[in-house]
Amino acid sequence: MRDFEHDPSLAELLDPKAISQLSTLLSSLADSELQLESSAGSGPATPVELNLDTIGWITGDNPEPRRRAAASLVEVVLHYVYKYRLAANLHRSTTEASFQALERQNEALRQSETRYRELAESLQDRVDSQVEVIRQAQQELYESARLRAVGYLAAGVAHEINNPIGFIKSNLKVANEYVDELEEALPEQHTCQDTLADFRALLEESLAGSTRIASIVADLKAFSSIDQGEYVSCNINQLLTTAMHLVQTSHPDAPEMTTTLSDLPDIPGHAARLSQALFNVLDNAAKAVEDGGTIAVQTRHTNADTIRIEVTDTGCGIDAQSLDHIFDPFFTTRQVGSGTGLGLTVARETITAHQGSIDITSDPGQGTRVVIELPAKRK
Amino acid sequence: MADFDEDQKKLVLKIVFYGPALSGKTTNLMQLHSQLTPERMGELMVLETKDDRTLFFDMLPIGMRSQSGLDLRLKLYTVPGQVQHDSTRKAVLSRADGVIFVADSQRAQQHNNAVSFDNLDQNLQKVGIDIESLPIALQFNKRDLPDIVEEATLRERWKSTPWTPPVMASALQGYGIIETFQVLLERLFVTIDAEHGLNCRFGIDKAEFVARLSNAGGEVHHA
Repeated sequence: MRDFEHDPSLAELLDPKAISQLSTLLSSLADSELQLESSAGSGPATPVELNLDTIGWITGDNPEPRRRAAASLVEVVLHYVYKYRLAANLHRSTTEASFQALERQNEALRQSETRYRELAESLQDRVDSQVEVIRQAQQELYESARLRAVGYLAAGVAHEINNPIGFIKSNLKVANEYVDELEEALPEQHTCQDTLADFRALLEESLAGSTRIASIVADLKAFSSIDQGEYVSCNINQLLTTAMHLVQTSHPDAPEMTTTLSDLPDIPGHAARLSQALFNVLDNAAKAVEDGGTIAVQTRHTNADTIRIEVTDTGCGIDAQSLDHIFDPFFTTRQVGSGTGLGLTVARETITAHQGSIDITSDPGQGTRVVIELPAKRK
Repeated sequence: MADFDEDQKKLVLKIVFYGPALSGKTTNLMQLHSQLTPERMGELMVLETKDDRTLFFDMLPIGMRSQSGLDLRLKLYTVPGQVQHDSTRKAVLSRADGVIFVADSQRAQQHNNAVSFDNLDQNLQKVGIDIESLPIALQFNKRDLPDIVEEATLRERWKSTPWTPPVMASALQGYGIIETFQVLLERLFVTIDAEHGLNCRFGIDKAEFVARLSNAGGEVHHA
């Protein structure tokens, strides 16, 4: 049976074995030969009907009423066979239809799930990149505000100190000349001769001190670069030297620094910011060698496009866990109040802004090496 | 649609009893089986399961042979009314030539009637049949029960549809059944005649078509 509406033939309802079995049973009931067949043949035959269709014949040389009874019996059997087939076929076709509908639904669901997953992924990417943009913007804002504040402070201090230190220095020189005059005018054996010699020593010490103050002020001015605009031509060796001076004066027991500075081309850059970055790196190195150790600073012109700054210390080093967070803003291993946790963050931001790179390797207890590479030409 | 076998001059038409669960579709068919005395009628095939609810469908074949030798058959099917058997309903409904919609007259069942009629509309669309051009007879069954919607209300409600007027029936009491069937036969004749030329090719007119297929052998039961 192709489908439930199809009018079946005898062969579709009963297999040959069942047909011959029925024929045998009918024959033994009738006590004479009766055959169920799908065609009438030439002998006497009575039709077997199903749903108004003749689908078979009872043949046999028997009285017609006997064949009729046999046909009716077969009709009853066929009715139930057909009914069963009908139900089975319809069941199969509806099950298949339901299954196909489910498959289609499943496919549609899978597609929409894929679409939503892709959407969610791209959304996540976009959120991540936006967060990154905001983070950078925030940091740059913070950094520039901080730099500006430091710059103004340094410029103000430098300006205020510069004038008094100027006349202190010149007054001390003049005072020295007066001491010369006094020495000539004073008799050989005068009791004030020792006092005068002491006074001269005092003046020279003060002069040396004020010269040092003047040089610190000069460093401060260079460091803040308050009068310099955006990108200018920077001499890295010079910036490095002033930063080193500043670090040495800001640490109580000025750490020992050895320098190997090669000839470097001037590179375009923001002098104040580069100074700050170098200062921060050197400041960290100085803090690392507070309990002993030395700092080596080296610059090299590695190739036409790159200059390389290496700051190596033999201080306390950084453990691996801290190294992972070394550039994170506000990450600090120092005591609360003694460090902002922004030093290397600012350094990296500055180097990155100059299209350079900064890399830190460290062995706890052995020391730390900071490698900064900057492009020699602006890209 | 109508299945015409040119060689055997055999035309098979399919009529489907549709309607909400327990509206009396199978009872309609059983009544037709006992009331009709058409020239030829086969065995009523009832495929019901527990609680006498139709699981697949019921089928009753009836037929007539015209003088011109046309072997005309009607196969009357019922569908299962329960909501979950929708794929069976759709399978039975495919290629239908006419539908008898058996609605439940009880007030509480009006929503179910509407849902089922809507389902008929949707399933007809799915099997590619236009409800506007399909012959449909509408029957409101269970008129013998209390708390039913009044006939005037029902007539008014269906007035502007192609299926007016609805036939009032009680399948249990046995009235309105043949009438519904006849309403369908009249509408069915129009479409089949247009498609197969019943009148011009086989000499069967509408009156003969209706009378011979719904020969009730005597009085038609009326309400």
